[in-house]
Amino acid sequence: MKRILCLLLAALFCIGAFCSCDINQKPVTLEDSIPIPEDGIISASIFEKIKSENKVVTFYATSGDVRYEWTVFGSDIEHPADKNLAVEIFGETDSAVSFRLLSEEALGFSPVLSLYLTDVWNAQSATVYQKSNAGLSPVCSASVTGSKTSVLNFSVTETGSFTVLADDGEETTAAVETAPESTADVPVQSDPYLSEGTQSSGRILSDGKQSGQDQYKTDPVPAGKPLPVEPEDQNIDEKQTYTCTFSIECSSILNNLSDLVPEKLDVLPKNGVIFSAETVTFYEGESVFDVLQRICQENNIHMEASWTPIYNSAYVEGIHNLYEFDCGSGSGWMYRVNGWYPNYGCSRYQLSQGDTVEWRYTCDLGADIGGAYAINPE
Amino acid sequence: MQYADAFGSYHPIVNFLYFCLIFAVSMLLQHPVFLLISLFSAIWYYITLKGRKAAGLLLRGILPLLLITVIINPAFSHAGQTRLCYLPTGNPLTLESILYGCAAGIMLSAILLWFACFSEVITSDKFVYLFGRIIPAMSLVLSMTLRFVPRFKAQFDHVREVQAAFGRDTSNGPLLKRIRNAVACFSIVVTWSMENALETADSMKSRGYGTARRTAYSIYRFEERDKTALCFLIFCGLFLLCGGISGNLYWRFFPNIRGTLTQPITVMLEFVYLILCIMPVYIDRREAAFWKKSLQLNS
Repeated sequence: MKRILCLLLAALFCIGAFCSCDINQKPVTLEDSIPIPEDGIISASIFEKIKSENKVVTFYATSGDVRYEWTVFGSDIEHPADKNLAVEIFGETDSAVSFRLLSEEALGFSPVLSLYLTDVWNAQSATVYQKSNAGLSPVCSASVTGSKTSVLNFSVTETGSFTVLADDGEETTAAVETAPESTADVPVQSDPYLSEGTQSSGRILSDGKQSGQDQYKTDPVPAGKPLPVEPEDQNIDEKQTYTCTFSIECSSILNNLSDLVPEKLDVLPKNGVIFSAETVTFYEGESVFDVLQRICQENNIHMEASWTPIYNSAYVEGIHNLYEFDCGSGSGWMYRVNGWYPNYGCSRYQLSQGDTVEWRYTCDLGADIGGAYAINPE
Repeated sequence: MQYADAFGSYHPIVNFLYFCLIFAVSMLLQHPVFLLISLFSAIWYYITLKGRKAAGLLLRGILPLLLITVIINPAFSHAGQTRLCYLPTGNPLTLESILYGCAAGIMLSAILLWFACFSEVITSDKFVYLFGRIIPAMSLVLSMTLRFVPRFKAQFDHVREVQAAFGRDTSNGPLLKRIRNAVACFSIVVTWSMENALETADSMKSRGYGTARRTAYSIYRFEERDKTALCFLIFCGLFLLCGGISGNLYWRFFPNIRGTLTQPITVMLEFVYLILCIMPVYIDRREAAFWKKSLQLNS
C-alpha cells in the first residue's frame, strides 16, 4: 500500500514539475469591443489592463461611412501610454481608399487596422502606400476579405497619411506566362481544342467543355484553368526545380474574433499572417499539398491533414493549430493559385513555374475570401 | 445485515450522493491533479472493498485500458503546439496529444473503478429503497435485471456440472462436441429462465402486485453520523462548484497546456477533493481501529 502511495505521489510531482514550466502563463482572452471616443484618445490605463490580463481587444469607430477596427493584442503592448486611435478615411473608390492616422506619433506597436469598406473591391490583394512629399512609397500589403463589401486588413507602424490601392490582377498573370528556362525538356501534351495547350510543367488547361463530375466528384473546371492531375500518377523529380510564391494567412479570423474558439486566441498570429509571401523552390511533379507540407515542416509550422479517398486528395484540417470549424461552422482552410480557388483538392493541383499559392482561412465557406464558387458553383 | 464496508453501513442517501459527487467531478474536470487523486483513491477504495480479488480487475481490465488510451490518442489527434516528431503519415506527434491521452486514460480508469465500488456499496436493496418511491416500476425492473445476471450464471454453472456428470462435458473433448454440449446447456438455462419468469409473474400476481401502492421494508435510519457525513458532502460539493465557477479548476490541453496549478485556492480545492475521495477508506480504517481497541479493552 505504501509503495503504491509513494509511486503515485512521485508521478504527481513529476507531472507537476513538468507542467509548471509554462502553464502559469495567462491564456489569451477576448474582451468585448470598445468604441473609440470622439477625440480618439484611449487612455494608458486601458492599455495597461489589456497588457496585464493578456487580452485581445478590438477598438472600433466610423469615419464617414467606413467603419474601422483596431485589433490590439495585450502581449504586443510594451509601454502602455495614452494613444490616439482615430482614423480619418476619405476618397473611397472601388480600387483605392485613403486614410490619415490622427495620432501625432507612431503607436509603438503594430495592431491590425481593418477598414470595412462600402464597396466591393474586385482585387486579390492590395498594397498600402505612405504619402509623403516625395510621393507614394509602398509600406505593406493588405489582405482583401469580406463577403458583401470588402474588408482591408493591414498593420502600419508609422503614422501619417496613407493610400491603399488594389493590386493589379494583371501582374500575377504575367508572371505565370513568362516562360521559365525549364520548358524545353518537358514533353508537350497538347489538347487539340486549345491553342495554348500546355504550361511550363506540362499541365493541361481546361477547355471548359467537360460536362458532369469526374470520378472524384469534381465539377467541370472553368476554361483556361488547369485540370486536376492524380497524385499517384506523378513522379517527383528533385533534379528539376522551379519556384513559386507561397503564403499562409488567416486575417479573416481577425474580422470574426467573437466566433473564434477562445482557446485558439493563443495561437492566432497578431497580424493574421502565418507565413508571409515568399518565393520558394519546388520540384517537378509536386502538388500544392506537397509544397505546403514541406514548407510547414521546414518552418516548424503545425499542420494536420488527412487523406480523403473519395476526392483523391489530402484535406488540410488545420494549420498553426487553427482548425476547420474553429471560427464558426463555415470556417476552414482554402487555397488560391494565381487568384483562382480550384474546385478540387490540393493534392491534385500540380504547380507550375511562377505560380502564386495562397492558403487562406475562411469563416464563411469561402464567401469572405472571394472563393465561394469553389465550394458551391451556383 | 451484511454491508460492503463501514461506509456502506451509512444511510443509502449518503452513499448515493457521495458517488454522484465523485462521478460528476471525475467526469467534468480535466485537471490532472484531480484526475490523479480520483484514480489513486478509486484504486485504494477498490482494494479495501475487494481485498486480493481487486488485483484481477486492476491488472487485466484497467491497466490495458489505460495503456491503449494513451497510445491511441496521439495516433489520431495531432493538435498541439509542441511538436515532438513527425509520424509516417506526415502529421505531427505532439506532446499535448500524448498528455491528453494520459488524462483521458486516467479519467476512464478512475470512473470505471468508482463504478465498480458503486456496485459493491449500493446494493440492489439500497437502490430500490432510494428509487422505489420516485420510479417504482423502473427500480423493480432494474433490481430484477441486476439479480438476473448472477442468477443466470449460477444456474448455467449448475446445469453444466450436471451435464458433465453424465458425459456431456464442455471442458474436455473435441472442440465441435464441446461447442454442441455448451449450446445444449445454454438452451436448458434459457428454458429454465423463461419458466422462472412465468413463475415469478404468477407469484407476484398471487401476492397482489399492482392492486395497491407497494410498500418496501427497510431498516435504514438517518442517524447523527449520516447528518455529519451529509453536511460534509454538501460542503465539498459547494466548495468545488464555487472553485469551478471562479475558474480555479481551469485546465486545457489544446492548443497549448494552460491551467491553474499552484494558486493557493487551487491547492485548497485539491486538498478538499483528496479528503472527499479518501473519506470511505478513512471511515473504514477508523471503524477497524475502534473495533480493535474495544476488543483489547474487553480482554
